[in-house]
Amino acid sequence: MTPRTDAPTAREMCTFLADYAARLLGSGATCIRLEKNVRRIGAAFGMQVEVAVFPRHIHLSVVAQGGGELYTSIAAISDCSLSFAVNAALSRLSWDVADGTVGFAEAVRRFSAIAGMRGEDRLLVLLLASVANAAFCRLFGGDAVAMAVVFGATLAGFALRQFMAARHADFRLTVIACSFVSSVLAGADGLFGLGATPEIAVGTSVLYLVPGIPFINSFSDMLDRHYICAFGRFTDALVITGCLSIGLCAGMMLMNVGMF
Amino acid sequence: MDFFQDALFSAIAAIGFAAISNPPRRAYLYCAVIAAAGHSTRFLLMEGTGLRLHIVVATALASLLIGVLAVLISPRSRVPAETYLYPSLLPMIPGIYAYRAFGGLVMCLYHGGEASFGHYFYLFAHNGLTCFFILLSMAVGATVPVFMMKKISFTAMRRHE
Repeated sequence: MTPRTDAPTAREMCTFLADYAARLLGSGATCIRLEKNVRRIGAAFGMQVEVAVFPRHIHLSVVAQGGGELYTSIAAISDCSLSFAVNAALSRLSWDVADGTVGFAEAVRRFSAIAGMRGEDRLLVLLLASVANAAFCRLFGGDAVAMAVVFGATLAGFALRQFMAARHADFRLTVIACSFVSSVLAGADGLFGLGATPEIAVGTSVLYLVPGIPFINSFSDMLDRHYICAFGRFTDALVITGCLSIGLCAGMMLMNVGMF
Repeated sequence: MDFFQDALFSAIAAIGFAAISNPPRRAYLYCAVIAAAGHSTRFLLMEGTGLRLHIVVATALASLLIGVLAVLISPRSRVPAETYLYPSLLPMIPGIYAYRAFGGLVMCLYHGGEASFGHYFYLFAHNGLTCFFILLSMAVGATVPVFMMKKISFTAMRRHE
């Protein structure tokens, strides 16, 4: 491929790709997508890119065409919230660069705009998540009372999660607190003898905290033989599941809800 | 009736859980459709037809369908296939098995007697193993199509003239 007239230096490319990769992984992308995207952007300018993904860092090397200039950098993975809107927009940007419709300077500008994208309305997410967890309760065989209780328990727990996230609280602590609050509130079903399926209400009240994306991504990374990253994500998911269990267990003990 | 209820509630659950991971707005409808198709397929394989498949096998097949649909829909909706996997799989999460396994484990600690310990350990192991294999079949079943159809999966974001 012939270098484009707007071609950056290996250093500029490496600095840009490090930011790009850190944001893409932070938004919930898998390793295979990350590798394909950064290589695609590099190849558009005749550069070869290699990445190594660690649980908290990305190691990037960019070799300019002809092997004359090599630049390497390590970036910390963004500790941002999951966003498939950002993932989709960053992936599209990589294709626009590859197809030549976007130059390097424009790509850097667009990246800043995408990285600053606002998430979905908080109230709407809160409401949708609560309705979803109530629907979940029904799928697991809960009655109408259990669904109503789970809706309330999720509403309170998820609102707490948003409150703590806005204050940058430790996510593990957030999960313990939210699962505790949700399970205590869901325990009301059994405590006051409201419905016929109180154990389903307690069991489903914390499911909105299940770290599904790290679990799925870890399997995807494993299939792609990115074992270190896969293991890192899996451990993260296990730790979150453990925190969820601690909160749930404490809530059940407080409400004196038996398991069997 | 059960079949339609199952599909409806899994679609509602998928939309809500999709919202947590902030997808582009155009993805919501597809999330609902894929989740409903996946969950009701599992329902049919287990209860609705004469097959009466084991929950692990039924989950693996339903997850495979979810994965294939997600990859095929991703170029049409210009959203990465992964966006659809988590919300569509979530209604199949073995929450109750996990909950019972955890309960069994805690009860083991409270019951030292051989007979009652054995009973609770059985509950822990039985529910825990079922939960583990359901999770495994979900994750592998849904991820394999992304790798089998790499060309579609990773060109879905490209703009077409």
